[in-house]
Amino acid sequence: MDFVIPQRKETLVQMKGIVKKFPGVVANNHVDFELKAGEVHGLLGENGAGKTTLMNVLYGIFRPDGGEIYIRGEKVSVGSPREAINLGIGMVHQHFKLVEPHTVFENILLGLKEPVFILDVKEAASRISEISKRYELAVDPKARIWQLSMGERQRVEILKALYRGATILILDEPTSVLTPPETKELFRFITQMATEGRSVVFITHKLDEVMAASDRVTVLRAGRNVDTVDRQQLDKMKLASMMVGREVLFTLHKNPIMAGEPILEVDNLTVMGDKGLPAVKNLSLSIRKAELVGIAGIAGNGQRELTEAIAGMRRIASGQVRLCGREITHKPIARRIREGVAYIPEDRVGVAAPQGLTVAQDLVLRRYREKPFSNGIFLEQQEIDSNAEKLIKEFNIAVTAKSAPARTLSGGNLQKLILARELSGNPKLMIAAYPTRGLDVGATEYVRSLLLKQRDAGGALLVVSEDLEEILSLSDRIAVMYGGEIVGTFPASEANVEEIGLMMGGSLRKP
Amino acid sequence: MVPVVSLVMGFLSAAPLFLAVGVNPILAYQEVLGIFATTDGLTESLTRSIPLLLASVGLCLPFKMNFWNIGAEGQLFMGAFAATGMVFLFPDSPTIVLLGSMMIAGFVFGGLWGLIPAYLKARLETNEVLTTLMLNFVAILWVDYLVYGPWRDPAGFKFPLTPMFPPNARLPWIPGTRIHAGLIMGLACAVLVYVFMARSKWGYELKVSGESRLAAKYAGIDYLRLTMIVMFISGGLAGLAGMGLVSGIVFRLRHGISPGYGFSAIIIAWLARLNPLAVVPVSILFGGLLVAGDAFQIKLGLAFATSQVFQALILLFVVGADIFTRYRVTLTWK
Amino acid sequence: MSLLAHTVQAGTPFLLGTIGEIYAERSGVLNLGVEGMMAMGALTAFMTSFYTGSVGLAILAAMIVGLVLSSIHAFLSITMRANQIVSGLAISILGLGLSGFLGKPMIGMTAPRLPSFSVPVLADMPVIGPILFSQDALLYASILLAVVLWFVLFKTRPGLNARSVGENPAMADSLGLNVYLIRYVCVLFGGAMSGLAGAYLSLLYTPLWIEGMSAGRGWIVIALTIFAVWNPLRALLGAYLFGGVYALQFRLQAIGIGAETPQFLLMLPYLTTICALVLISAESVKRRIGVPAALALPYVRGE
Repeated sequence: MDFVIPQRKETLVQMKGIVKKFPGVVANNHVDFELKAGEVHGLLGENGAGKTTLMNVLYGIFRPDGGEIYIRGEKVSVGSPREAINLGIGMVHQHFKLVEPHTVFENILLGLKEPVFILDVKEAASRISEISKRYELAVDPKARIWQLSMGERQRVEILKALYRGATILILDEPTSVLTPPETKELFRFITQMATEGRSVVFITHKLDEVMAASDRVTVLRAGRNVDTVDRQQLDKMKLASMMVGREVLFTLHKNPIMAGEPILEVDNLTVMGDKGLPAVKNLSLSIRKAELVGIAGIAGNGQRELTEAIAGMRRIASGQVRLCGREITHKPIARRIREGVAYIPEDRVGVAAPQGLTVAQDLVLRRYREKPFSNGIFLEQQEIDSNAEKLIKEFNIAVTAKSAPARTLSGGNLQKLILARELSGNPKLMIAAYPTRGLDVGATEYVRSLLLKQRDAGGALLVVSEDLEEILSLSDRIAVMYGGEIVGTFPASEANVEEIGLMMGGSLRKP
Repeated sequence: MVPVVSLVMGFLSAAPLFLAVGVNPILAYQEVLGIFATTDGLTESLTRSIPLLLASVGLCLPFKMNFWNIGAEGQLFMGAFAATGMVFLFPDSPTIVLLGSMMIAGFVFGGLWGLIPAYLKARLETNEVLTTLMLNFVAILWVDYLVYGPWRDPAGFKFPLTPMFPPNARLPWIPGTRIHAGLIMGLACAVLVYVFMARSKWGYELKVSGESRLAAKYAGIDYLRLTMIVMFISGGLAGLAGMGLVSGIVFRLRHGISPGYGFSAIIIAWLARLNPLAVVPVSILFGGLLVAGDAFQIKLGLAFATSQVFQALILLFVVGADIFTRYRVTLTWK
Repeated sequence: MSLLAHTVQAGTPFLLGTIGEIYAERSGVLNLGVEGMMAMGALTAFMTSFYTGSVGLAILAAMIVGLVLSSIHAFLSITMRANQIVSGLAISILGLGLSGFLGKPMIGMTAPRLPSFSVPVLADMPVIGPILFSQDALLYASILLAVVLWFVLFKTRPGLNARSVGENPAMADSLGLNVYLIRYVCVLFGGAMSGLAGAYLSLLYTPLWIEGMSAGRGWIVIALTIFAVWNPLRALLGAYLFGGVYALQFRLQAIGIGAETPQFLLMLPYLTTICALVLISAESVKRRIGVPAALALPYVRGE
């Protein structure tokens, strides 16, 4: 891809020392960011690096806890998206903010002051048509959103921003829902914007795109600005290592164990995502006894759908899943539980540990059917209680009482509860999705040690994590996912951080 | 005890209404309290409470899993229809056989009527509030058709009712009162459903399903099957209530066999916080309100609709109070 | 009076109630209290007309009463985020009870009614003339209202805002719309319309006051709202269809064509609604046309 480099102009946006904290994590840790007029600026980083948060601060969705923002040299405080729009900033989010049953026209006009009463006014229609033609963003204003493809919906979002006069356009992971030709179209548009003197920030984790389209790239990692690199000095390997970081700590000592026979076999799995497109494409994977396989990759590349499919929570479109040689592809979840599949989903609160139940009740959530917890009709309350007492002690779960509702537990203790329950059934296979997300250091260490213990005891584990350090220290084998496929598998001992970074960015395949 | 306070407040809030129609509120309240003070009043309250008890106990189940069964009235009518049908089919059977078959028929037909919206919701995501609501009227009209038409009593002066039931189709009753065996059924069901909800495997599944459908899926629960079982029982119990009405009090099927018991049952279940055991005293209270309604009509010249007003006011206060308890919880967190 | 003229009259309370409920539900609030509001609207109109002799005042009073009753539901559902089903049912039972309670002394009485007038020239048209152009002002107004409200809902900004609030309140909120206010307005409007529908019943449709004036029409309004797919123009069609069923069964009974038929005919509105529901729910997953996505879900900012 070859694009025209626009002239260097004045600084449009300056963000100095931005700090943004959320409970338990510092998303932006004194980040500086600068945007020039007529520039295409790529914002690169892994999940949790703070890219979206930083742009959300600029767009007025979040108020920063520290730092200053200057727009066109003037210090501003952006209190809401409305104010951002008035400052000429427009943002297209990863999850489109469109009302599906409404038409394109209605979505563009929603929330504006004009036209005041009757909507189908010539000025509005002609202005939209003019913008649409000028930027080649063809879309039928009378079409309803649910009729449109993802690419078309994105065009509507862009039109929305342009209609409101955006001179600074922020795009959050814009190509994640586009086909290759649509991606090409998008970058043509971005270049056109820059040529006119408008600025575009696009957030991405894809190295190729950032290399081809940006005038400058800022890399964020763990809430900090690592560096901003000019176009001339762009180097893929360097970017990749900046993105994932070279300091990798091998804090946990793994026992070298010989893996046994295959427990989980996944053949050519295809799973559809929520938007009607395949999220997992023809994926094959196997995990053996006493082996922990870590799935690395930026979230949103099919990992969630993969774990849900194996666990039985999501329909499998094609392919096969076998557990100890027996096919379980379409079997109901109750059956999978019986066969020894343990699952720790991403959503702890809503799915894995319903908040209205007591701790004791949650501790038998997947196992209440089995003896001794139930005799077929009635639950054996005594057994459930003693099970709860045992697990609370063994796993050190901090609760006021086993009859306390689950919502009184802290995040770390809730995760301990879930782990305790899933491990206590002595599962053959354990699937863990982002098991240490949001946990403090102590809880994180504990969870990791539990997973390793399970592996030592002969369990097969599939762990998905966005924390590369975690993957490297836990896994026997690592598989990197990108775009719904595994782009590289290798033993952990052969792991090369730069290569992994390239794989995560979609620039390398290692079959 | 928040429900008790709201009950009392709802009660008292009716005072200005009595004044508006020129009735001394104190007299009205005396009437109501008087009902609970006399044996006659108490037994009559118990009698009236039987269909309420059965239907409300049944409603605890679907409500617990957030399935909004507004169709208890229709399910009751279908039960009444089925029970009556048994009488037409086997008028000469021995009492035990006939009554037994009436109970089974009432339960089954009420249950089937409840199964329809359950299936539609679980399979097609059809909103159950609307389907159960609509089916009420279909059932009521169906009974109307029968009592205005093929089942009408030829000696009944063209009134929409069936002939009286023979003695072998009537539930036994306590002599000196109108309390019939349906009370035993009701109490037994209250206990059974309570145990079912608190101790059984399905009670657990109910709780989880009430939390979230995804959590139920994760736990391996068959949501479709659970919904259908629960609605069959719920509809069945309402059907039993209908059976009790025709064979225990009225001894025939007629137009308007139920003056909205199915809707009152919703209020009772809500007031009892979906606890089948708590349903018992609340149903008796509401039974008393119905008796009061009669008393108001006869002694004070008020419309029978008065008891409806009480019910609605109590419910509104309970709904309002519910929110305050919720807010209190949020405030203590902060 | 011809069958068709009767149909149009019978359909008017349905139409009025439905267009009100359409607005309430479009904004995301399920109002099951229509039956009670209609009943109280009927009583209020009747009593006002009886005591003041002014039909205009009676209509106004009925609308106010409907508005007041719906404001209770609005407060509980929107501000207090209570369960909308229970709240609505409570209002219905309250309204029904109150109308029976307060209306007892009025049973059997008559009051000044809505006058009919003929539209010059048009009323002389063969067939259509007497049906459509020799009716009362409220009937004409209802048809006009349906058309106007359709236009407002789909072609104007207030209508767009109302629909957005019912589809995706979080989105609407982030775009600066006042979700709570819009919902209040829509629910109160629905209440006023239900009251108006009740007024039509007691001021025109029935010659004297009886207990149970609304006769379940409020529930049919809820059914009609779905049948009309939340579109005021389709509500016209549905209201007259259902009105026709009522008029027809009345005729058949009068002629004596078997007492059997009325019930099955009367079942039709409910059964067709269930079918409509099934069709919509099966399709809506794909076509996203139909149920306002946020219907009956309380909105909390930040959730």
